[in-house]
Amino acid sequence: MASKRSDSKKVSRRKFLVKGGLGTIGVVAIGAYLFRSPIRRQILGVVNSLEAPYLDNIDQPMIWFEVTSDNNILLYSPKMEMGQGTFTGIAQMAAEELSVSMNQIQVVHAASSTGNVDSFATGGSTSISGLWKPLRELSAMLRVMLLKQAALKMNVDVDQLSVEDGLISGNGKTLTYAQAAAGVENWEVPDVPALKDAKDYKYIGQPVARVDLDAKVYGDPIFGMDAEMPDMLYGAVVRPFKIGSTFISADTKAAENMPGVVKIVVENDFVGVVANSMLEAEKAKDAIIVTWNSYDNLNTEAIVKMMTVGNGKSSVIQKNGDSFNDQDKVEILEFRSPIGAHAQIEPNGVVAFVDGDSATIKISTQVVSITRKEVAKRLDLDVENVNVIPTYLGGGFGRRLHTPHAVQAAILSKAVGKPVKYFFSRKEEFEHDMFRPPTHHVIKGKLNAEGYLDGLEHQFVSGDVATDSALVPNALTNFLGADVGAIRGGFIQYTAIPNFKAECWHVELPFATSWWRSLGLLANTFAMESFMDEMALKANKNAVDFRLNQIAAEPIDIRLKNVIKAAAEKANYSEEVKDGRAMGFAASIDANTPCAQVAEVSIVNNEIVVHKVTVAMDPGLAVNPDQIRAQCEGCIIMGMSAVLYEQMFVEDGELTPTIYGPYQMALMKNAPKEIDVVLLQGKDTPGAVGEPPLGPIGAAIANAVRRLTGERLTEMPLKLSKKT
Amino acid sequence: MKLKPIYTFLALTVVGFLFALANTPKISAYEILEKQSKNTQNSNDDYDKMMDVLTHQRCMNCHPSDDIPKQGDASHPHHFGMARGEDDHGFEATSCNTCHQSQNNLNSGVPGAPHWALAPASMAWEGLTRAQIAERLLDKSMNGNRSHQELIEHMTEDDLVLWAWEPGVDADGEPRTIPPVSKEEFKKAVENWFADGAIIPSK
Amino acid sequence: MEISLTVNGVSKTVDIADENTPLLWVVRDTLDLKGTKFGCGKAACGACTLHVDGEAVRSCSYPVKFADGKEVTTIEGLGDRENPHPVQQAWIEEIVPQCGYCQPGFMMATAALLNKVPKPTDEDIDKNIINVCRCGTYYRMRKAIYKAAKLQAEKVINESKEA
Repeated sequence: MASKRSDSKKVSRRKFLVKGGLGTIGVVAIGAYLFRSPIRRQILGVVNSLEAPYLDNIDQPMIWFEVTSDNNILLYSPKMEMGQGTFTGIAQMAAEELSVSMNQIQVVHAASSTGNVDSFATGGSTSISGLWKPLRELSAMLRVMLLKQAALKMNVDVDQLSVEDGLISGNGKTLTYAQAAAGVENWEVPDVPALKDAKDYKYIGQPVARVDLDAKVYGDPIFGMDAEMPDMLYGAVVRPFKIGSTFISADTKAAENMPGVVKIVVENDFVGVVANSMLEAEKAKDAIIVTWNSYDNLNTEAIVKMMTVGNGKSSVIQKNGDSFNDQDKVEILEFRSPIGAHAQIEPNGVVAFVDGDSATIKISTQVVSITRKEVAKRLDLDVENVNVIPTYLGGGFGRRLHTPHAVQAAILSKAVGKPVKYFFSRKEEFEHDMFRPPTHHVIKGKLNAEGYLDGLEHQFVSGDVATDSALVPNALTNFLGADVGAIRGGFIQYTAIPNFKAECWHVELPFATSWWRSLGLLANTFAMESFMDEMALKANKNAVDFRLNQIAAEPIDIRLKNVIKAAAEKANYSEEVKDGRAMGFAASIDANTPCAQVAEVSIVNNEIVVHKVTVAMDPGLAVNPDQIRAQCEGCIIMGMSAVLYEQMFVEDGELTPTIYGPYQMALMKNAPKEIDVVLLQGKDTPGAVGEPPLGPIGAAIANAVRRLTGERLTEMPLKLSKKT
Repeated sequence: MKLKPIYTFLALTVVGFLFALANTPKISAYEILEKQSKNTQNSNDDYDKMMDVLTHQRCMNCHPSDDIPKQGDASHPHHFGMARGEDDHGFEATSCNTCHQSQNNLNSGVPGAPHWALAPASMAWEGLTRAQIAERLLDKSMNGNRSHQELIEHMTEDDLVLWAWEPGVDADGEPRTIPPVSKEEFKKAVENWFADGAIIPSK
Repeated sequence: MEISLTVNGVSKTVDIADENTPLLWVVRDTLDLKGTKFGCGKAACGACTLHVDGEAVRSCSYPVKFADGKEVTTIEGLGDRENPHPVQQAWIEEIVPQCGYCQPGFMMATAALLNKVPKPTDEDIDKNIINVCRCGTYYRMRKAIYKAAKLQAEKVINESKEA
């Protein structure tokens, strides 16, 4: 659909500026990609399973690289590293075109002062696929620029030069990149050179170790929680514990004289405290009595009632052929998923320093640009004077796609004239998560005489996912029609079925819901693929054959068929229950990456145990197959955790539970002991990896349970009825 | 005073007899007891008080019958799969003391007391009737070979037992509930009950 | 209150106003060892696991006063790039971390496990390693724990040969 656009985008020569700086001898390559396409197409492009382009900042100079005096390359990443392995993949891509070794590349987060700020976000499984072309082009351009300078210095024709591991040689002479770059003031900017052929790749496609592996194994201080600034104080902000609370007033008397308290700050929408230590700030915070305006009577039951197909606004996102009529004898199943928490282990937090008319913000965030603008706006600063320095994220999963606590910390900092570090408590993290919204699905299907589907309809309702977020304002939602996050995975992928329809309903919830890794995919695929399994059973057909026979013949369909076959074959998929174990099958397409999974399940002490999961996925070209495997393993475990255990409740207007344990998650003992990953390459560019494997796991487990017990589980988290 | 051992002996004999007949529906155990000792009513009050404490969650949560410690007033299984382990102190590397120290932690809400551990399996009370708990308490083969005097000391002086009245706060900073009988009353009730012969009413 | 303790083999004396301050904050903010993480502050997630006299302890729930006179080991002291602990070596060989935030706690818990149970079974691992990882690295961790056990056994053999 919109897949042509990226071909037309090349690094513009005029935009490729060069300047020295950052305190080291060096080249600073500056590129700019224009965000030309209308936003609607871009965003729908992401959603409609086409890969996202790299959405960069518009007209500011960007610093991508720095050649250091010890002949290494610093790569300033506009994408954040939150565990998904992006830093490693982009290091491989840059090393390839720069002709340096992997250990000569050091990837760091680009501070917003470098200009290399992603105006969108790190998320949606787009980092590697989006940077695939521009980053390699920029790297190749820098290589050519360095070679040209070397040619001048070595007095050798540039065509006679070759480079390996950052060492340029020709005509018996050598020069390092650092030497080539030293002292250069006028750089010649070349056209984009030809990129390497896939057959010549040295690093791309290799399972190289993560570039951040050592730092993470030896405990280096790399996370937002570890950030500091000189002379720093600690802040805390009083947060309401009831849904929908608005701030009325605060009695701060008791807190004022508590040990370590430096200042209490009352704004028109919050009250905060600054103290000498985190513990003192927390204790003073607890002593502040705030009057809130809040809902008291809300409970889970009311939320479930609200979240029912037929409520709210709807839009048809897919339709082919006829709808069901009243005479049709249709099978109907309903499914539900609960409120889910992100529960990432590093709480949200920030160190902020407002110093006169400028501000410095150290933060683990998925949205550097938005955070920067929010701070600038609230503190009335020039955006240019707000420098957001991103850190490694102790888990993202969508939780950090809005980080407005940077604003609160900045206000506290301004009030005391010193840097302030402010982190959420775990209770606040749970209470003020921007949850995965609960969903309800009504799926109808009608089998024809041959036992295949003649019609299939998916009606589903969700709260906000992408809508009403910092990234996709409401005005845009109205323009787009449906919630672009909620519909992920909600499409019908068996488009050989003659008549099908998918319709998404949208209900506003009284608490914030948002992006949770894979967005709508987890719940939508759980529902859709459970229904498909039930239809296969009804038609007395093998679940794999039943699926294969109803997939159309577009390129994506062929890739879907291939992963389905590969997973079934690798797992030796069988519908027999053997030694108390059954297999369950499911498949999905997300962001143009098809994925199929087979889960082997048994029931032990009335609990569902997942022994083994076989995954076949086609993410296109695998930049780092080991990290893709890691993402598959992680998605399966995070997915089974959500599908089997996780659930938030609403009790008397409070979101609960607020601590690990009561918020039950998969532990070591619950994780499958075997995860077998098969990677296929159905296209020659890299595609989405970090979320697509979350799709099939829920239905794969539920379908195995169905075969074991005869019971169709339709509600996440899956719970066996007592009798089994 | 001299009569006391005789009373005790008598009472114990009667109790033993009652237990033997406990399943015989024709005899009312209650009536027989009524006639035995004028101390019985007091003893029963002491027993009730003592049992109100022993069956309270603060005590019962660490006397499980399934080797799994319980938590909270709803006595749910300890989160994260913690269990008795080989020595009542949890597992080899992740033991009770990985989280529980010798004092309550008011920052984390993790309770603590000296020698924090589960009561031994022989002292499992969960799911037992009050009488069964009392029997188990008195049974030297189950109670760690404790005499009555040693039991009194254990129940009225041991830090972990007395923790029940100073259980600290939970993870939300809310004070934990305490047994319905005060510590002093409990101590007195224990002493009196043993002094009156540790009679277990049959009903 | 003055508290003397040994941290990663080095004697330290710290002056802490509130003796009940969690050891976690003393290690992180007073001693500036940031490898030990804050995750929940309620001894639920295990991100703050370190060793006190060789025993795994969740330091968010361990008042600093109890550490007086004791030996504390954090991830920074478990091993370093020149001389990695078998657990760290195994974690590198299996490429375990994703976001990495929970990993120090898991490695400290695993090191404690291998001290007590040098050849752990799946059951030993399931019972003892009960920290929380959101990225879902459990699958690789289990492989790394077995590898670490092997590396540790080899190390013991080599050391005894040298002796």
